[in-house]
Amino acid sequence: MAIITISRGSYSMGKEVAEKVAGRLGYECISREVLLEASEYFKIPEIKLLKAIHDAPSILNRISGGKQKYIVYILSAFADRITKNNVVYHGLAGHLLLADVAHALKVRIIANFDYRVGLVEKRDNILRNEASSILKKDDHERQNWTKSLYKVDSADSSLYDLVININKLTVDHAVDFICQAATYKELEATESSLHKVKDLALAYRIKSAFLKDGFDVSVTSDYGNVLLYTKGSDRSIQKLKKIAKSLDGKIKGMNNIEIHSGLPFPTNAV
Amino acid sequence: MEPLTTEMILVMMMIGLAVFLFIVEWVRVDVVAIIMMVTLPLLHLVTAKEAFVGFSSNAVISIIAVIIIGAGLDKTGIINKLVTPVLRIAGNSTSRVIIAISFTVAGISSFMQNIGAAALFLPAIQRVSKTLKIPISRLLMPIGFSAILGGTMTLVGSSPLILLNDLMVPFDLKPFGLFDVAPIGIALVTSGILCFVFLGRFILPQGTSDAVEDKTGDVLEGVIEDIGKIYEVHTPDDFTHYRESITVKDLKRRYMLNVVALTEPPDFKVISPGPEVEIQSSIDLALFGSKKNVLRMAKDEGMRIKEEPEIFKNEIAESVSGTVEAVVAPRSSLAGKTLNQVNLQDRFRVTPLAVFRHNETYRAEIGDLILAVGDAVLIHGTWSRLKILQEEKSLLFTTPIDVDILRPEKAIFAAGWLAVALIMIMVFKIQLSVCLMTGALGMIITRVLNIDEAYEAVDWRTIFLLAGLIPLGIATEKTGTAAWIAHESLRLIGDVQPIVLFTVIAILSTVFTLVISNVGATVLLVPLVVNMAIGANADPRMAALIVGIATSNSFILPTHQVNALYMGPGRYRSVDFMKAGIVISLLFIIVMISMIYLFYGV
Repeated sequence: MAIITISRGSYSMGKEVAEKVAGRLGYECISREVLLEASEYFKIPEIKLLKAIHDAPSILNRISGGKQKYIVYILSAFADRITKNNVVYHGLAGHLLLADVAHALKVRIIANFDYRVGLVEKRDNILRNEASSILKKDDHERQNWTKSLYKVDSADSSLYDLVININKLTVDHAVDFICQAATYKELEATESSLHKVKDLALAYRIKSAFLKDGFDVSVTSDYGNVLLYTKGSDRSIQKLKKIAKSLDGKIKGMNNIEIHSGLPFPTNAV
Repeated sequence: MEPLTTEMILVMMMIGLAVFLFIVEWVRVDVVAIIMMVTLPLLHLVTAKEAFVGFSSNAVISIIAVIIIGAGLDKTGIINKLVTPVLRIAGNSTSRVIIAISFTVAGISSFMQNIGAAALFLPAIQRVSKTLKIPISRLLMPIGFSAILGGTMTLVGSSPLILLNDLMVPFDLKPFGLFDVAPIGIALVTSGILCFVFLGRFILPQGTSDAVEDKTGDVLEGVIEDIGKIYEVHTPDDFTHYRESITVKDLKRRYMLNVVALTEPPDFKVISPGPEVEIQSSIDLALFGSKKNVLRMAKDEGMRIKEEPEIFKNEIAESVSGTVEAVVAPRSSLAGKTLNQVNLQDRFRVTPLAVFRHNETYRAEIGDLILAVGDAVLIHGTWSRLKILQEEKSLLFTTPIDVDILRPEKAIFAAGWLAVALIMIMVFKIQLSVCLMTGALGMIITRVLNIDEAYEAVDWRTIFLLAGLIPLGIATEKTGTAAWIAHESLRLIGDVQPIVLFTVIAILSTVFTLVISNVGATVLLVPLVVNMAIGANADPRMAALIVGIATSNSFILPTHQVNALYMGPGRYRSVDFMKAGIVISLLFIIVMISMIYLFYGV
């Protein structure tokens, strides 16, 4: 009974590992579905969402918050999806999102660079040099994306419970390890860890709702008691209150909502 | 027609002026009374001694003593104990509360002075208003009127009826028995209360809850409403089985509920438990929170919500505990610390409920909030604990702790001195004011309340209102104005049917009692109406009885002692009394005459 997030570099066989783990454990394997759901729910073209998770936000984007908004929508859809439990997710930032969730197994799949270059060369039928530069650029972009949004290095092994290098070890070995780890007692969902996931989904849902109205607020939720953190002025607080009031009773699972202004944002706020 | 003297004309003008000022309210009613007190001797209508004789009058001293006795009884929680079962029957409905308290007060008033019953219940009624959030103005007038009406249920219920048999002696009329007036009195009380129940919304001022005005500012009101009230719940027997343990902090985090008290097996009560205290199986909790959140918790955690507090009813009674607003003072040691660090629960056994900062209310995660000078903290606790916190001076209390700390251990003394006063009145027939002042003094000497508390309990508006109107009554009688009015009125109606004569007597008594004291009106009118009744072949006993009862028909002006007593706390204006009083006075006359017609065969 766990959520498994598989973080991967491009061409690191992470997708294959995720699909095989899901197949063996009978879990649902999700990645792109999250984009589709976000696109449908927030009425945003999928291409815009895809671009948001692929490219690191530019300075202009950071100011306007354009891409950030889409990423929040995607994460909202993802958080919604994992409330159902028994899920294998391979996509961006799953491990960061579930950093505090006790029953989430965070896995990083890496592969030897030469091995990955070989895969690109073979798949795209291009020269080795060309494949190497494509891969380097892709790695750089992914790293930048995580750094710009979460201020962490995705290569930092302390972010994961398990890092598997597909080199000597094969995809099947990796699947064995992960499936075994998924059965550990320590990864069993508890009442409070399940609540944590629900709260996360709710916090993202609320954050998305405020973003839609043009307000970027930090949100925490604790058993459905939502706190909004803002540094905004008195006027904007009044507007936030108005939006908060309009959400009352409309968002499932939200029990209370309160605005905290001028206070330090907690680290677990989304 | 007897000629009018200049003095009579002046007295009538003064009465007219007083009534006019009562109506227009250019000055407060007690100031009108002081105007009378000063003007009457200046016009030589009364002597200087008579002008101020009210302050030493039996009635005024009795009222002062009764207010002190009432405060003493209230301080020991006796009245609360009496009111609690009454309120349990009444529930939360305003009408039922009015009916229950009014009948209780009327019942008590039928055996003791109306003003006594009214004064004894005043603090309890104020508490009921705060607790149930019923505007005090909607409670006090019906209950005060019931206290007056209750005085007509027995022959010892009001001063005029006590006097009645004595006044009938010269005419050799058969005296009335203790309960001879009961049918009329019961009908009057019932019709009066029903009138308020059905017509209350039209004839009573629609004020705001006293709780709001007295204890908390407007801002606080909304927040307290937001934060909710105290509920008592019981945890199931298997609460701690097969689950992660739940602490006081968890209930706050999950349900925004503040645990203000809990039981610990076998039978300990913990007030304001610390955040880490675990919630055990089969225990009782008193929680501060909104109904929505309490229902949610009860559903999620399988707890049972009690209809009303049982285990903690004493600890959370408004007389024992409450909620105050306290501001972090400049140079306070609390500034720069979080509430978790300050740990008010462990140090003072009080529970912080919310923090206000820059017009924002913080209810969640307040433990981690770093307090700054000017932050206001809403705190719940027992008054005695809050007082200790206040004395520490790191927080400035903006809500005064005006609810006095109860002294239940003194209840026996309070009840004892009340009994002494009542025995002196009923058995030894000593003058009322002496008896009551003995009771009041006894309470002070036995430290039921101290002398400062006794002085503070007395409402000087009431004292000046009554003492100031007494010289007006004296002037009306002394100058012959009252006798002139009575004679002329009865002469004008001439020979009529007994029932018409009785109705006129009732109206005349009502008018007289509004201006002069009910005792004065009775003394003046009984000899006159007995003679009139004999002359008109009507029953003279009934005529006397009508005066005895109708001199309690004093509702239109706040001149009756009970009305004067309730006017200040109820924040009534004279027009409020006129509006409701006219209806009740008319009803009074109709019901009284109908009952006399039906029961006494007139």
